[in-house]
Amino acid sequence: MKKLLLWIVVLMLTVSVVATFSLVGCKAVPEAVEAEKPVVEEAPAEEEEVAGSWWAQAAAPYKDVTIKGISESTPPSKYMQEVLAKSFMEETGINVEFEVTSWDEMYDKEIKDMEVGTGIYDFVYIEQDIIFSYLHNEYLLDMTNFMNENPELVFDDLDMDDFTSFINDFKDDEGHVYGLPFEAFLKICLYRKDLFENKEIQDAFKGEYGWDLRPAVTFDEYGQIAKFFTEWGKDNDMELWGTTVQAASHPSSFYEIFETILPPAGVYNWGINMENWKATSADGGAMDSDKAKEALAFWVSMLDYAPPEATSSTWDEVAASFAAGRAAQGWVYGENAAWIATNAEKSVVVGNVGVARPPLMEGVLEEAEAGEGYIGYYDGGALGIPHCSKNPEAAMLFIQWVCRKDFQGEFAKAGSRIVRTSTFDDPIVLAMDKEVDGYYSMFKNEGYLYKGAPPFPFHATIREVIYTYTIQAITGEMTASEALDAAAKATNEELVKLGYGK
Amino acid sequence: MKSTRTAWLFMMPTLVILVFIGLVPFIYVLYIGFFDWNLFSKIRGMSWAGLNNYRKLVFDSDFNASLGRGALFTVLTVSIEMVLGILLANLLMMKIKGIKFFRAIHSLPLTVAPIAIGAAWRLMTLPGLGPVPYYLQKIGFDFNIGRYAQQAFFTTVIMDIWHWTPFITLAFLAGLSSLPKSPFESAMVDGANRWQIQLHITLPLLKPVILTVLFLRIMDALRIVDEVWMLTGGGPGTATRYIGIHIWRVVFPKTDYGYGSAMSVIVLYFTIVLTWLLITSVSQSRKEVAK
Repeated sequence: MKKLLLWIVVLMLTVSVVATFSLVGCKAVPEAVEAEKPVVEEAPAEEEEVAGSWWAQAAAPYKDVTIKGISESTPPSKYMQEVLAKSFMEETGINVEFEVTSWDEMYDKEIKDMEVGTGIYDFVYIEQDIIFSYLHNEYLLDMTNFMNENPELVFDDLDMDDFTSFINDFKDDEGHVYGLPFEAFLKICLYRKDLFENKEIQDAFKGEYGWDLRPAVTFDEYGQIAKFFTEWGKDNDMELWGTTVQAASHPSSFYEIFETILPPAGVYNWGINMENWKATSADGGAMDSDKAKEALAFWVSMLDYAPPEATSSTWDEVAASFAAGRAAQGWVYGENAAWIATNAEKSVVVGNVGVARPPLMEGVLEEAEAGEGYIGYYDGGALGIPHCSKNPEAAMLFIQWVCRKDFQGEFAKAGSRIVRTSTFDDPIVLAMDKEVDGYYSMFKNEGYLYKGAPPFPFHATIREVIYTYTIQAITGEMTASEALDAAAKATNEELVKLGYGK
Repeated sequence: MKSTRTAWLFMMPTLVILVFIGLVPFIYVLYIGFFDWNLFSKIRGMSWAGLNNYRKLVFDSDFNASLGRGALFTVLTVSIEMVLGILLANLLMMKIKGIKFFRAIHSLPLTVAPIAIGAAWRLMTLPGLGPVPYYLQKIGFDFNIGRYAQQAFFTTVIMDIWHWTPFITLAFLAGLSSLPKSPFESAMVDGANRWQIQLHITLPLLKPVILTVLFLRIMDALRIVDEVWMLTGGGPGTATRYIGIHIWRVVFPKTDYGYGSAMSVIVLYFTIVLTWLLITSVSQSRKEVAK
């Protein structure tokens, strides 16, 4: 009996070890997967004439194929899911299973899929800030090569030159494209025009602060307005606070600090010196600089004038708070501007939304205009095809469908996003511009003052390192100064571990 | 001998499954713990780190703080749950009208998935929107689990107590129902009062049940993730970043697989030691009861 037991234990251990090391060796090689051909159940006979549009003809070999994609739950993605995917299926006969989920879950799923090479997704959402990591890890199909090799799949009116300069973020050093943008917007300030233009409020504000109430230009002005409206709300028994703050214990708070608050204070690229990969001021970085500390302290102080939900708010909740009329002003992602300003089913501030630049510290605008800095975040994303996609041809068709010029006006109306230069002159956008207080004009004319995330392949890892400290500034476990000192030091150490700098 | 072989044959499917879902992942995690492996590192793939990941853990203040926070959470929740569980079990043993209905109601939290419990508590306590902060504000208490670390910590403690006390109560109810009657009758004949009976007869006889429940609950509390993740996301700050959540953040969003694996192995080691101590105590107490 003992012998049998011993044999079973030895057998189990052997199986475990063999299985474990087999798993290590099972990591998929992208090139091998790339070679796979799409699964097409039944291609039409050559003689059979395929009727219909170019789309129907191009999609004919892939009819009834199901492509699966994933994206973040944002207004543009929901529009793709609810409108564009349906019309694509009707036109082409290709089925689209489009998963729209939370930001965290989306990355968790798509990165695992692409790293292991499972091939679950045929197209994936690539946010501008993660593209550098994806390129570094060779997760994505080279669309330029793919289109050259499959000209029959390229729509005549794709017009790559019509994309705004945002598409450059999705290119490699050789100019090859790895994702076609479908959304791009600015992180702007929204304010309540009805409150800002109220005579009684204007008089009260001027009486208290000595200057005419208008959207803030500096951090100090922003703070004064926030304080004023919080007190106004209290005194008038209103559910009104002075500002939104995206301060959940979630990476979203990191993004608000490092992409919305620090750049207007003159701290760019997260305060990391990209020549020696150091974040500390002593080594040429700026993460723990006085300017960064002042900006973070200012942002933390805004929590006193923000609705109670601010410390549980990510980007979605911030937009919802503003739409619910709970804040007089706030930093809001531009993709939400259209629905907040026009959709009466979801927003109580329809018709009362003003759009403004974020407040800045002295000298930052001049630096941005000179191309030496930027005043805020130019956000957005593209759709790309993973190397492990099982149906890259059908996915390529769908991505082009989403980017069709003639769809861009309605798409911009639904998601306040623009990726094509021609869209700015679309009649729908021009009409919408008036309803959203000139947001689209601002986007067109001042977009160059904003910038996307720095080209860091280590984006997610360093974000996690920094955010562990900055969230402690929110609760007061650390001061702003202590948090940034610790974050800069930890960033230096982690970057060395990742192979950047010494 | 033949019956033993048959028994092993019947157990084989389970053993094979256990090997693949238990042993294989464990060896894999153990293996990865000896490497530096970050998806977004400049050098792709794994590089040998030896025991470096384990050495770093000793000095990692975030890891140690998470471990300490988790230990405090475990001590608080399990001790309060044990006391409440014994009290409720004694109450439920009484013959009162409607007690069966109360037993059923009282067990309801056990039937709900932890993630749903976290979501329900989040809805109730969401600052600015939930009913709990709303009514507390009416009596002048500023309740905001998104901002105040202690409030968030104690909210997770209360949520866990609410969720798991019924389990302990049910275990004690089963234990109390199966106790022999003769020691109690003898004690009553000898003139022992209720308190003396409880202290000198009921609790010693319940010792195996107490230790088993204690063991199960400590394991569960130490590895809590889903409810707390849903309620607070580990915040505000790091107030509720217990060890499970800390490891998850290191392994997934940070993609530091090597270091995260080393953490998992160390936590597993602590858990095994604790389990061994408790199992030894349980066996010892069973022997004493048998005597």
